[in-house]
Amino acid sequence: MNAEPVEITPGDSMFELGRDRIATLASVADYLIPAAHGMPSAGEVVTAAQLRFVLRTRPDLFDPLIAALRYELGDDPSVRLAALAAHEPEAEAALQMVIVAGYYTDAGVRSRLGYQGQVAKPVNARDYPTYLEEGLLDKVIERGPIWRNPTTG
Amino acid sequence: MSTEPADVLIIGAGASGGVVARRLAEAGYSVVCLEQGRWHDRSEYRGTELDWELTARKQWSGSPNVRGLPEDYPVDDMDSDLSPLMFAGVGGSMLLFAGAWPRMLPSDFRVRSLDGVADDWPLTYEELRPFYERNDRHIGVSGLGGDPAYPPGEDPPLPPLPIGPGALKVARAHDRLGWHWWPEPNAILSTPYEGRHQCVQRGTCMQGCNEGAKASTDLTHWPHAIANGARLLTGARVLRIETNSQGLATGALWLDEDGREHFQPANVVVLAANAIGTARLLLLSASNAHPDGLANSSGTVGTRLMMHPFASVTGLFNDNLESWQGHFGCSIESFQFYETDQRRGFVRGAKWGLAPTGGPINAALPSRAGKQAWGPDHHIQMRARFGHGASWGLFGEDLPDPSNRVGLSSTITDSSGIPAPELHYKVSENSRKLLDFHIDKASESLLAAGAHTIEVDRLMQYSGWHLLGTARMGEDPTTSVLNRWNRSHDVANLYVVDGSCFVTSGGVNPTSTICAVALRAADHMVNTRFDQQVPR
Ligand SMILES: Cc1cc2nc3c(=O)[nH]c(=O)nc-3n(C[C@H](O)[C@H](O)[C@H](O)COP(=O)(O)OP(=O)(O)OC[C@H]3O[C@@H](n4cnc5c(N)ncnc54)[C@H](O)[C@@H]3O)c2cc1C
Ligand code: SF4
Repeated sequence: MNAEPVEITPGDSMFELGRDRIATLASVADYLIPAAHGMPSAGEVVTAAQLRFVLRTRPDLFDPLIAALRYELGDDPSVRLAALAAHEPEAEAALQMVIVAGYYTDAGVRSRLGYQGQVAKPVNARDYPTYLEEGLLDKVIERGPIWRNPTTG
Repeated sequence: MSTEPADVLIIGAGASGGVVARRLAEAGYSVVCLEQGRWHDRSEYRGTELDWELTARKQWSGSPNVRGLPEDYPVDDMDSDLSPLMFAGVGGSMLLFAGAWPRMLPSDFRVRSLDGVADDWPLTYEELRPFYERNDRHIGVSGLGGDPAYPPGEDPPLPPLPIGPGALKVARAHDRLGWHWWPEPNAILSTPYEGRHQCVQRGTCMQGCNEGAKASTDLTHWPHAIANGARLLTGARVLRIETNSQGLATGALWLDEDGREHFQPANVVVLAANAIGTARLLLLSASNAHPDGLANSSGTVGTRLMMHPFASVTGLFNDNLESWQGHFGCSIESFQFYETDQRRGFVRGAKWGLAPTGGPINAALPSRAGKQAWGPDHHIQMRARFGHGASWGLFGEDLPDPSNRVGLSSTITDSSGIPAPELHYKVSENSRKLLDFHIDKASESLLAAGAHTIEVDRLMQYSGWHLLGTARMGEDPTTSVLNRWNRSHDVANLYVVDGSCFVTSGGVNPTSTICAVALRAADHMVNTRFDQQVPR
């Protein structure tokens, strides 16, 4: 988000968010999800386009996000998050949601996780179940009925 | 808007409303249904889209309070340990349900006789079995016959769904432990059936099924009802049921989306608005003749609300199980600890159902069960959790308690200005002990299956999927609202066919039982049609 030139036009949710809050968001994003273990940081991934996608999908997150990014909470992401957790859990949740959603809807991040989205794999009912092949129900059946008969208790 | 009198007016086009409409329309009744929601085309569901997990938490949330759609009514749940979940539309809450389709067990209908608690039902499992079986064919249930947890009967019409790699590990563990397990029956197609596609295992069932593989009455029942002449009015919100001087229901007053009032006259009124919506409507229908609400001479309408306190126990495994895929109705179930064992310090038990664990956003956000990991460890935790989990859902029997109830809110209204329902609900001591025991046992199951970590969400707040008991059946009109055929003791042409009628909750997902009881009631209406009292 830092590096990318943010094209902001009036009427756009990004315009209302403003450059300062976007910069604050990037620093919190880097703090929560830093680059490590072969994964990029959220500050890098949650670009203006990602942010726009999240807020367009979930406009209800906009107001609590604005609250979570307000200037008065200072420069230190950990102090900001602690204050939100203590007094404004909704704003904290919105901030986390925007960052996490922006990050994990990114194609590069998904591919590094080996995740291609929810893929259609039509059931083939002719496939013989492994559990039957392994006889995993045999003992269940051998043990016989386990339901309690109300007439005999 | 036509005010042609109907033979039968059904309020609510969800699970039970659809079942009754189909049966009665096929029997030649003129049927009108009023539904506050609308039709949903399956292309609206977001399961195939990038925003699936984002919209799942708002637009397609199971909570009407979170969605806040104009066709929803909000629920005042400030005084409730659990938040109720439901959906308004043709198909009702089934549009978002997971599709798990177990039946109640024979003992569930006899808890007073067997365990000395609550009350017996005025009907038995055996009496209900033919209705379960008929519905299974209408719904297109996939499963494996011969489960020794149940008495023998007809096999499910379709072969079982695949259980997936996580469930296979657990099945092997139960084999070693000598514990019961079985592939769970689901209202989800394993093969094409009656023009519907089979499941593609996308795992987005609780946000609507893009394939139409998961049953909901908009697919399985309403097309038949409509083809047989039933009229289904959507965007039609009922605000009260009217009665005449004979004490019979004459029809219902309803509001269209523009707020215009209409009256739909009918010979018989059937409530199918779920255990919160129905109790609300009966209370809203109070008049001078029945100041405490309609059909409420017993004073029990709205009481004994049951919602199945729920816990999930997730095991994390080293192997990648791709547990974001697979149908969300349970893959396998266990009834090992279902029946009462007094030595455990509580009565009754829980069904366990194994489910997938969701997409990456779900895995990454802090959950009540998982620990919160931010900073560099976030990636480690994410790799350990995402796709590596198998989750037992524990549905504990919720015993009826008169103080757990639905009332009318004095402060909150729906978008039409009608008072919202207000819930008072506390999780009982029996439920807490029951869940503690089952959590321990489910953890044992997952550890035996090879899990390296167990995460427990003990009493999930947003787990009020199962709404039951607020207009119970019974033989005694002083302690129950309905007779054994779902007819009001007080109002001879008023029926309640949704989960309100449940006497006790059982410890299983209830919709197959709701539908079986509804079909039985509809059959009885048809069989006794010439004896039915109607308003003059
Ligand atoms: C997310 C989720 C997952 C679930 N998973 C499962 C599962 O796996 N297995 C299972 O067995 N059950 C499950 N359930 C529960 C299942 O959906 C319900 O048990 C079932 O749908 C209840 O049927 P019903 O006919 O009682 O009511 P509903 O299906 O809720 O239908 C009631 C209808 O009445 C309408 N209505 C209410 N008030 C009015 C009014 N005043 N005027 C007009 N219309 C009105 C509503 O809009 C609604 O469409 C789940 C539920 C949810 C929400
Ligand atoms: S997993 Fe199957 S039933 Fe569930 S949404 Fe996908 S296709 Fe439908």
